Amino acid sequence: MNNDAGNNNYLMDDGLKIGKYTFKSRLIVGTGKYPDFQIMKDSAIASGAEIITVAVRRIDFNAKDNMLSYIDLDRFTLLPNTAGCYTAEDAVNTLMLTRELEVFKTDLVKLEVIGDAKTLYPDNEELIKAAKILVKEGFTVMPYMMDDPVLAKKLEDIGCPVVMPLASPIGSGLGIRNPYNIKIIKETVSVPVIVDAGVGTASDACKTMELGVDGILINTAIAGANNPVKMALAMKQGVEAGRLAYLSGRIPMKLYAQASTQMEGIVF
Amino acid sequence: MKLYINGKEFEVAENLSVRLLIDNFKLDIKSTAVAVNKEIVPKSGYAGFILKEDDKVDLVSIAPGG
Repeated sequence: MNNDAGNNNYLMDDGLKIGKYTFKSRLIVGTGKYPDFQIMKDSAIASGAEIITVAVRRIDFNAKDNMLSYIDLDRFTLLPNTAGCYTAEDAVNTLMLTRELEVFKTDLVKLEVIGDAKTLYPDNEELIKAAKILVKEGFTVMPYMMDDPVLAKKLEDIGCPVVMPLASPIGSGLGIRNPYNIKIIKETVSVPVIVDAGVGTASDACKTMELGVDGILINTAIAGANNPVKMALAMKQGVEAGRLAYLSGRIPMKLYAQASTQMEGIVF
Repeated sequence: MKLYINGKEFEVAENLSVRLLIDNFKLDIKSTAVAVNKEIVPKSGYAGFILKEDDKVDLVSIAPGG
């Protein structure tokens, strides 16, 4: 796409800061649920993401294909998650394993401690317990959390350099259900806010970024689309458009029309 | 001797080290983490860690996830 504004200052963005790390892209994408690894790879590239999330699992000796052969480790930072962990202990142990995996080149970890299988909502108590341990261990902890400003502040105080409230349940595609809470979280904490889970399509991504959040993490909405690679590009553009719109400062909404054409010099 | 590797029973030679086990499975050492009886084995200790009868070994790597 030709973009004449591409090389000038209008697009200047200081990037997404997570602890000691800075990324140009404000979109993080997951690697789960793709039809195959080639589509996963093409989608990740199309999304422009620099961080991709992965799980930590027992090796499947019968697997026909190796996921790693589709991931360029010079291009992507791998972010391990704790999906499926229901206790702080399991989440901490899972992430401790990542220290032995050389594919992880940073200490960034996505911490999720699930409290309920149906909603996949996090367990706040276990989340805080795990976050405290992991911060002490020296990890850069990125916690997946409810859209709760009080919890966000607690996680910031523990030492999480970012908070990741959900927009709506994981994989639901419901979009942002409580934009006001996300705005309050953004005003409550001074660390970056990344909305994690629930974005369904590019307009959701755009609207979320327009709220002023610092980034978005998306998996299902891309992987589950009929054409994941196209959706990945749509999400990239949605995130960029939303960020630019936020930085631009939108006009206030008015009840009545306000002519955009001048009245002076009217002929008839 | 009998070992449980990733939840399945395997018959292996006595005095097998973690390092040799990884080699036997033709795994890439850089992308494999190991826990024995739920305790993580640091990479530096693979060669010296000798497995015992009935040990529960987890061989771990990355997998798709969000």
